[in-house]
Amino acid sequence: MLDRALSWLLGGRRPTASHLLLAPSAVWLTIFLLLPSAGLLALSFAHNGPYGAVSWTLGLQNYRRAFNPEYVPVLLRTLVFSGGTTLICLLLGYPLAYYLSFRAGRRRGALIIALMVPFWTSALVAFYSWMIILGREGLLNAVLRRLGLVSAPLALLYTPFSLFLGLVYFYLPFTVLPLYGSLEKIPRQYVEAAYDLGAGRWSAFRQVTLPLSMPGIVAAVLLTFVPCLGDFLTAELLGGPRYYLVGNLISNQFLMAQDWPFGAALTCLLLAGLVGGLWLYRRWEAVA
Amino acid sequence: MRKGRGLKLYCAALYAFLYAPLAVMTVFSFNRAHRNVVWLGFSLKWYGVLFHDAEMMRAALTTLELAVSASAISGALGLLAAYALVRHKPFPGRGVYATLLDVPLMIPEVALGVGLLSFLVRMGYELNFGALACAHALICLPYAVGAVRARLQSSGGERLEEAAMDLGADEWTAFRKVTLPLAMPAVVSGALLAFTISFGDFVTSFFLSGIGVTTLPVKIYSMMKFGVTPEINALSVLLLAATFVLLGVNALFASNPGESSVRA
Repeated sequence: MLDRALSWLLGGRRPTASHLLLAPSAVWLTIFLLLPSAGLLALSFAHNGPYGAVSWTLGLQNYRRAFNPEYVPVLLRTLVFSGGTTLICLLLGYPLAYYLSFRAGRRRGALIIALMVPFWTSALVAFYSWMIILGREGLLNAVLRRLGLVSAPLALLYTPFSLFLGLVYFYLPFTVLPLYGSLEKIPRQYVEAAYDLGAGRWSAFRQVTLPLSMPGIVAAVLLTFVPCLGDFLTAELLGGPRYYLVGNLISNQFLMAQDWPFGAALTCLLLAGLVGGLWLYRRWEAVA
Repeated sequence: MRKGRGLKLYCAALYAFLYAPLAVMTVFSFNRAHRNVVWLGFSLKWYGVLFHDAEMMRAALTTLELAVSASAISGALGLLAAYALVRHKPFPGRGVYATLLDVPLMIPEVALGVGLLSFLVRMGYELNFGALACAHALICLPYAVGAVRARLQSSGGERLEEAAMDLGADEWTAFRKVTLPLAMPAVVSGALLAFTISFGDFVTSFFLSGIGVTTLPVKIYSMMKFGVTPEINALSVLLLAATFVLLGVNALFASNPGESSVRA
């Protein structure tokens, strides 16, 4: 039975052992990834009926609606926050990656694991803690008031500041690791040769290390920017009702507004952006 | 070397930034006060409250069951897939399939969540524990495959397998007697990573938790809606501790080359 189905899928070729071994994961990916994705794509062309019903008269109206003046600010905000986060992470993370690959010595392994730990802990827990720190009655305001630096509590939570903070907090390891990976590969002799030829620290860095770490920078930009575009939790907890991103808009369409076709169209736009980013990266990799 | 010290201090500050929220939460989970920012003295009462909360205990049990199911499923699927990808002759579409196996890791969780939600609901499938376990197995799959793949590629077991087959073992026997023991540390490590991912997952569980299926992260989220309470701190600290233990055990498995695990 399984053999028959497989050989049909393979266009009449006899299934080999590899196919049988891959079949369980393939079934899983098909049912829980490919079919739901295809479903979203189909849904994105449908009409939204009353009470969240879906009518299957197909059209592009959901995509047109995504570019309405009502929603364009959300799309732009997502781009701005993702871009800004990527830039901040790059500026903050490059020195750390540099330290890890050139200066850390024996502590390197432990420091890299330490960098990954916040990534493995539930982001929810970390963001919850940031809410305690940044809230009106929060720790930071309490400290600032105790020190007499401010008279009234500052509004820190649910501002662009708190959203940037959360995004940078969460995505910093995504930036540092690819940077570290490429800095690590630079032969030490190249830098030493630059010193021997009379270059100072700064010009050796600018003319040798920095250009050689370019592949890492591009990978870091991609690995920070793309996941940022699809962020949901950070904006949900630290952006508040005013600074929400496209991920939150999608979630609202499915859970609150009950407009699944529009939510599906937004998801498809998001995924298209993601695939576009990866494609550009592949192209760049092929050329470089 | 003043310059070197500046860089060192900068990196220390960055690590402080990464760990500050975790430290703050841990400290305040032992605070006797109801409000977070006032320190009234050390107390374990919030942990006590947690353990006497029947709903909380049920959520903890659900989370554990979910993590066990997800890591078992993804571990089994991952082992088979990784073995076929590394050891078998290249077949058409191998590269594409390897990429496809990584997609659950790259796709935004919100897209995965709404995709599965709309698909399951439209198919008339009830959102229950089984649905959530399957979804968690999907997001854990890349970790399971990745761990075993790396191990199979680096362990040099290929020659041992060939030797076993030259000595008359069929592929299944060679797999059972040679490959599996060699890959075992990676299988365990992948399963532990999968466990950690499932255990801490919020977004997928948030979209797919049907009636009666509440995991601890979803529980934390719904409690947060009613404001900040020290009970959430205590719960978060326990989650954090569990993650640290899991990562520690995993580090033991990953760092151990496991050469001794091949037996005649």
